[in-house]
Formats: sequence, structure tokens, C-alpha cells
Amino acid sequence: MYDPQRAKHLCSEQLIARQLPQGGWPFNSNAKQSAVEPTALALLALSSNSVRERDAAIRFLLHIQNPNGSWPAFVGDDGEGSGFTGLVLYVLNCCGVGGKADDRAIRWLLHSRGWESHWLWKWKFRTTDRHVRFDPDKFGWPWMPETVSWVVPTSYSLLALKNCIPGSQEDLLQFRIRRGVEMLYDRTCPQGGWNAGNGVVYGRPLAPHPDATAIALLALRGEPANHLVTASLDWLERRAQVCSAPWSLAWTILALNAFRRATQPLINRLTAVVQSDEINDGATLAVVSMALTCASGLNAFGVHS
Amino acid sequence: MKVDRRTFLAGSLGLAAGAATTALLAKPKYHVIRRRARSRVAILSAGSYSENLEQILRHGLELFHLDIRGKPVLLKPNLVDYVPGNHINTHPLLVSAAAECFHRLGAKTVLVGEGPGHQRDTELVLIESGFADQLRQQRVPFVDLNRDELVERPLLANYTGMKSFWLPRTIVESDFVVSMPKVKAHHWSGVTLSMKNMFGVVPGAKYGWPKNILHWKGIQESILDICATVPVHFVIADAIVAMEGNGPLNGDARPLNRIILADDPVAADATCARLMGFDPDRIVHIRAGAQFLGNCSTSRIDQLAEPVCLPEMPFQTVPEFEYLRVNNHLDGLT
Repeated sequence: MYDPQRAKHLCSEQLIARQLPQGGWPFNSNAKQSAVEPTALALLALSSNSVRERDAAIRFLLHIQNPNGSWPAFVGDDGEGSGFTGLVLYVLNCCGVGGKADDRAIRWLLHSRGWESHWLWKWKFRTTDRHVRFDPDKFGWPWMPETVSWVVPTSYSLLALKNCIPGSQEDLLQFRIRRGVEMLYDRTCPQGGWNAGNGVVYGRPLAPHPDATAIALLALRGEPANHLVTASLDWLERRAQVCSAPWSLAWTILALNAFRRATQPLINRLTAVVQSDEINDGATLAVVSMALTCASGLNAFGVHS
Repeated sequence: MKVDRRTFLAGSLGLAAGAATTALLAKPKYHVIRRRARSRVAILSAGSYSENLEQILRHGLELFHLDIRGKPVLLKPNLVDYVPGNHINTHPLLVSAAAECFHRLGAKTVLVGEGPGHQRDTELVLIESGFADQLRQQRVPFVDLNRDELVERPLLANYTGMKSFWLPRTIVESDFVVSMPKVKAHHWSGVTLSMKNMFGVVPGAKYGWPKNILHWKGIQESILDICATVPVHFVIADAIVAMEGNGPLNGDARPLNRIILADDPVAADATCARLMGFDPDRIVHIRAGAQFLGNCSTSRIDQLAEPVCLPEMPFQTVPEFEYLRVNNHLDGLT
């Protein structure tokens, strides 16, 4: 018999054991290089009882923040900023960390934008480069500077900005949230759901991905209900029936739970996966840990069922 | 001679591509020369994936007299995404057969590594494409190159204008990298073969999903910079069932019933292009790569096993790449 609480406990123990001395987490369990995404997700996954580990993770994240307010993708990365900045800001806000680091990150996010928002590239995508179906007026956030917007960094940034306390740039904040939400709706796949951000290429629809769909849905929580969200939730539910990969399954549980759809059979399946095989990837372990918490009515993405 | 709009468009694109190639070739931008005097390519017949691929590969590899005893070997297949029914990825049975062959040749270790460019959940692709079961059965470790430890390396060519790349430690520490592409037409780069396959070593954790910076810096230019910096020591290309049309994801299956082996990525890709009915000299990264990464001309390639057999009908492409297609009767092939 699989027990989600026991599996969750197992994940937490493994997460704590894999924390590196400087406070971060690597992707690969054997690696010694801290990366930002597994660190932010692990911090969100750890319960409030893990005070020492959480404090070390917060100190680590604050320490590696770039001078421009963004976060790098990993220790040693250049200081330009990565698409994980929104995720870190969201997690630090959830942990009650604000102050100057928060303000600088918000300022960076408000000014970081996909290159399609630039008039020259907008013109290019409207005239000579029309093979990917999208509206360049609807832009979000890129993975790295000087590239176009993609679904996951845009979703992470929306999660952060929707949860931050508006400062002096309230109008710009609302504008960026509005544009980001429009961009996500613009990039949906014809059957519902999202992939990296190319719904239709050369007139042919591309398949959505469970993880990108789930993260986008979490970012869109609180938006007025509409057929795109419903279609995406329906697609995610259908897709989950044949999904056993822990990263995708865990994100799916978090999203479906946030939208109050049934997740118990998926939690049972995820529990079985966790108890049968060790999860090597730190980011996956953290998301799985959060998804298993949904069994006890808690959702790390701000929903208490 | 009557020139219709389609022919005119294809001709114009050909001219534009020619101009682009000329621009790329105008000034050498590489700091390394990997091209040897001669290269070897073997074309092997394989009717389907249910044949004894290990035996076919073993016989093929014997032609090359490879000495990989004691070396760590990295097999780099093309894993993009899983769409049921679409021949998108290098077939797991071929990768599995290659792993077994390299073990038998005395490799110190054999790893399989890939960093998909579109799908963030590499494990999902592995599970659903059948790779996970196959590798587990054989106890061949897999490394997600998107999430590996990263090491900064200066570029050994400068076509993109970038100075360095962050690369997975696994790639940097592999003594023998085997590019195992699925032979496909590609809507952005014309073809995706052993050189384009190396996009998968560029880590998503740094460059994102997709690795959009490579598109902005130029796909052909990025291929050249990556292949200059990360040497491909051997190629095993899956053309048992290839893909034509709107590749890499939405094209149509095109059985060629061939596996291509080569000790030179440029020679491998030039040969694959010929098998697809394309002129390799019209493919920018192959033509430019022939200056320093390997040999494109048939006069510098020792053809082992079977000869190059041109298809009755060249592979279909998206309209922008129709100029690659050779009309066998009019153009001939070099």
C-alpha cells in the first residue's frame, strides 16, 4: 500500500540530504554546482520545520542575486539574468522575504521583456517571419536576454508579479501582468494546453506539454474563467491518465489541485513512482514533494483546499 | 524556358542561400582544423528496426578499426519530443545496439546523453519513446544534458559572435562522442543530421527551452560554432525510417532502410544529404563545415559497404528549402 505522507517524508529527507554546504541545490544528485531552479523549488517544498535548511537556502539565493536585480541560472553564470528570476522572487515572497532584494528583482522583471516587443522584431514577425503563429504585440518574458518570450519564464514571472506588493510602478506592473496573461492565451495549442510556446508552426499544430501547461495554469489562476483555461485543464486531465514521469505528473497535480479538480488517483500513482525508484533530479524531487503535500490539503502554490 | 512562380521562388531562395554561404565562407572564422585528408563513410542496409541491429552495426564498425579501448564513450541520440506515430527520435533499439557494440569494443564506459530542445521533461520523452526501458534493461546510464553541471568553454569558431558556451561536464569529459541523429528534413535548417544534432549538448538550464539564442545568432552559424568546440568523433545516423517535409516534429515518415556510419560529421551529413536527394553544397553548415570540420566532396570520402544511392524522388521540404533538392537528371551530384 502506498502512503503519500510517507513518500513526502522520504522526499523531504532526500532534499535535505542533497543541500549543498553553501545552501543551494544542484539538479543532479551527484553534482556540486548549485542551480537556481532546484534551489527555489526545494525552498518552497521544505516544511516550515526545516528552519536551518530554509534559512541557508534564503541566504544563498540573496547572496547570488545579480547586481541588476535578476537571478542567474546557476552559480558561476553571467550576471545578465535568467528566466528563473520570477520563480525565485515568487518563492522568496512566499517565505516572507522582501526588502531591497525584492524591489530590485521587481524592477528587473518589469523591464525585462521578450524581443518580439521591439518594433524591429515585431515588424519582422509580422512580415518576413510568419511561420510560427503568434501575435508579437502580446509579449512576456524570455529565458535569457535578447531572445523572445516563452511560456515557462512568463508563467514564473506572472506568479511573482501577481504576488508582489505594488510599489511606485503600479501602472507598469499591471501593464506587464496584462500583457503576460495575453501572451499566454495567445500561445495556447489548438487542442488546449501549452508547450514551450509554439502552438502552431508551418500551419501544423504542435502538441502541448504537461509541465508547461500546468505552470501556465498556475500563473493564470485568478483570471476570469474562459474556454482556453477550461480546454487546457481538460487536456491536462486526459494527458495525466497516461503520464508516469514524476516531473510532469507532479506539476499536473499542483495545477489540477489549484483548480479544484480531482487529483487523488494521480497522487497515488506519483506515490508509487516515488517509493519504487529514487528521483535523481533535485528540481523534480522538490516538485514531487510539493505535489504529495496536496494529499493533505495544502498546495505550495498558494491554494489551501 | 518557362519559369513559374514556384521555380522562381525556389531559385531566389537558392541564390539567397548561396549569398549567405558566400558570406559565411568569405573569411575563415575558425581556430581549429579537424578536417583530415580523407574520411570514411559506410552505408549499411537495415530493412527495419526488428532486424539484428547489433550485428549490422558490429560488422559496420569493424570497417573502421576504431580503437576506443579504455575510453569513456558518449552516445548522443536525437531526442526531441514524443508524438505517437511520428518518427521524431533516433530509435532506441539502434542506440541500444550501439551501446552494446561500444561495450564490446572495450569502451571504459558508455553513456547516453541528450538535452532536448523543446520538451523540458526529458524523463517523459525517455519513458514514452521506449528509451527508459531499453536503457534500464542494458544498464546504460542516461545523462540529461539540459541539467548537467556546467563548464564554460571558449568557442573554437566565431560564426555566432559569441565568445564562449556553457557546456555539460559530461560532454567536456567524454573522450569519444558519437552523434546519432535521426535523418530528417528540418523547417528551420533544411536538414537535421549529425552536426545539427549537436544542438542537444547546449544546456537548457542556461539557454532555455527552446535554445532560442542559437536561433537568434543563426542556426547555421551556431551549428558551426558548436561542432568546432565539441568534436564529433563518430556518427551513427538512423535512416532506417527517416523524416521528410515539415521536420523535426511534424514531417512524414520516409523509409530509407539505411544506417550511415562515418568517422567525420561533415562527410556523414554530406552523404545523408545525398541519400535524401539534396545537394550538400547547398546546405550552408555542411559547405562551410567542409573548410575545417570535415570533408564534403565525394573525392575525399572513402565509401565503405554500400554505394550512395540517390532516391527516385528527393525528400520533401518546406518551400524555403526546396532549393536543396536535386533534380537527378538535370543537376547531377558531386
